[in-house]
Amino acid sequence: MPLADYDLDTVRYAAHAVSRAAHVFIKLDGRSAAAVEFTPTGPVSGKAVAASFRAELADEKLRAAIYAANRELRDFMILKALSKEETPPQAPQDDSGLTPEQEKELDALIAQVESEIKQEASAGASKDPLGITRTWEDKYGAKKSRKKN
Amino acid sequence: MALKKAAKKTSAAAVPPQLLWKRDGADFLVTNDFGHYSWLKKKDFDSLLACKVGESHPLFAALSAKGFVRDRLDFDGLAAKWRKKNAYLNTGPGLHILVLTLRCNHKCLYCQAAAGGAAAKDTDMTPATARKCVDFAFNSSNPGITIEFQGGEPLLNWPALTAAVKHARARAKTAGKELKLALVSNFSLMTEEKARFLMENEVSVCTSLDGPADLHNKNRCFSGGNSHAVTLKWLKYFQKKNEAQADGYRVFKPSALLTVSRYSLSRHKEIIDEYVAAGLEDIFIRPLAPIGYARNLWGSIGYEAKDFAAFYLKSLAYILKLNRSGVVIREKMAAMMLDKIVNSRDPGYLDARCPCGAAIGQIAYNYNGDLYTCDEGRMVGWEGDDVFKVGSVFKDSYAKVMASAPTRACVVSSNLEAQPDCARCVYKPYCGVCPVYNYEVQGSLWGDMSSSDRCGLFKGIFGALFALLKKPGNEATLKKWVDK
Repeated sequence: MPLADYDLDTVRYAAHAVSRAAHVFIKLDGRSAAAVEFTPTGPVSGKAVAASFRAELADEKLRAAIYAANRELRDFMILKALSKEETPPQAPQDDSGLTPEQEKELDALIAQVESEIKQEASAGASKDPLGITRTWEDKYGAKKSRKKN
Repeated sequence: MALKKAAKKTSAAAVPPQLLWKRDGADFLVTNDFGHYSWLKKKDFDSLLACKVGESHPLFAALSAKGFVRDRLDFDGLAAKWRKKNAYLNTGPGLHILVLTLRCNHKCLYCQAAAGGAAAKDTDMTPATARKCVDFAFNSSNPGITIEFQGGEPLLNWPALTAAVKHARARAKTAGKELKLALVSNFSLMTEEKARFLMENEVSVCTSLDGPADLHNKNRCFSGGNSHAVTLKWLKYFQKKNEAQADGYRVFKPSALLTVSRYSLSRHKEIIDEYVAAGLEDIFIRPLAPIGYARNLWGSIGYEAKDFAAFYLKSLAYILKLNRSGVVIREKMAAMMLDKIVNSRDPGYLDARCPCGAAIGQIAYNYNGDLYTCDEGRMVGWEGDDVFKVGSVFKDSYAKVMASAPTRACVVSSNLEAQPDCARCVYKPYCGVCPVYNYEVQGSLWGDMSSSDRCGLFKGIFGALFALLKKPGNEATLKKWVDK
């Protein structure tokens, strides 16, 4: 394969497409070419595998061109999708059904968990732009406990 | 020729926006990141690649609305579509699987659950641990959580089940989130009293039904009686209760899962007829995975991906035929995939997400409070390899679990953009890989999709769905499956 026509990534990805039928070995052949060898692993002949590989190369080259030309556009679209302002869902307004003692117990439990998480966060948590590792209360604010009427 | 010409172009304006494609005979299936798809004739595909789909082109309106025409991209609309399709990225785990016991009174041929004998009570979750698991689940940043009770057979540990249900209902009232409770049971230990408790607490029930009695009982060995008869008895019981409903709480329709063994492959009509006769409106046709007992018996009950794909296609065709004659039934996996394809909606199918649902979409809670990326990851742990263990409800915080090494490894390895085959696959907008499957079957979290039977299965399913969607008669029926 002349590398002027197909870069190594293109050759590699095209090789993946036929790797169900054969083991594929890619080696540099000097500076300007890559040698591609097929060892069939099933009933498909090496010739047939090589033909499939050549057909894939054209597709792969096009995919690479489209991908490269659209990288900034894709980044922009995905950032736009991800950065839309989040609004917390409305909490139901019904009565909690818990006794004041149970409410206290729950509040204490939640405070304990929040405290543990804050301690860990201050100890150096990894970046989490989507807030996956944040608790419900951290993300949307603690809900005030409701007294039973 | 058009492919070669297009590949030579370098200017961004001269190439179409990001798209994926697959040849199918004389036609091309094209998809994009926003989840849109279109079937194109070769000349139209060539025009698309050459950026020659102008306003006078007959497909201009359709292709530009779907984001395939570069100078007609609706940025706001497409970004909203992408966001809706990937809504799960902004939330934490929604599915919390509590393994209440490893004991089971069945010995199913394909069991993946690492079930123990009914007497081995040392693998029961205590009520206190069950409550602790519920508390952990409520830490999730997901506005809606589902707690699913599994086993073994979860009805073998009734005290933990009732403790978890009551505690979860109490927590939901103050947490301000939607709570769903679900039980997966073989029904063999169900009683009126237990059923009443489940209904009053709005716990939905799901069981296994593998087809007619001989097939079901062959797959699902039960020394305590006739598994098939017990399953049908309680399915009908819950259906009647659902039809009648009750004051003060909702009674859900029961559902059932089909696991396809080699014995099922020649019997698709009988199996589907059995579901229809049982009053079920969904059939979830699930392939076997060579994990757990199934791996040991793979030689007698397993099959190749192409065998399953053929079974699946025949089943779908038969279901559509029944639909046309007025029978209400749909295939669940197809419905979930169609929801992605047709509605750009995430149906909550964690096995087909990017990244996969491991830890960030679901957590499995073992009987002792240990946490795993998913139930399959827990099974690997039971075999002695804790590579998918993400923590413990007793020792680790939610934040620590979400940032744990196994969580991150699963996220990275199931990112389709980084999988060489998947990144180029036309089905990428709707698909997902499973690091646990890859690890178990191929010895690596990344796996090799070109030789993966799971990939073959998914491609077979997508191929069948898109082939059906291509025909207008089928398309209308299939879209009705997901029109709510």
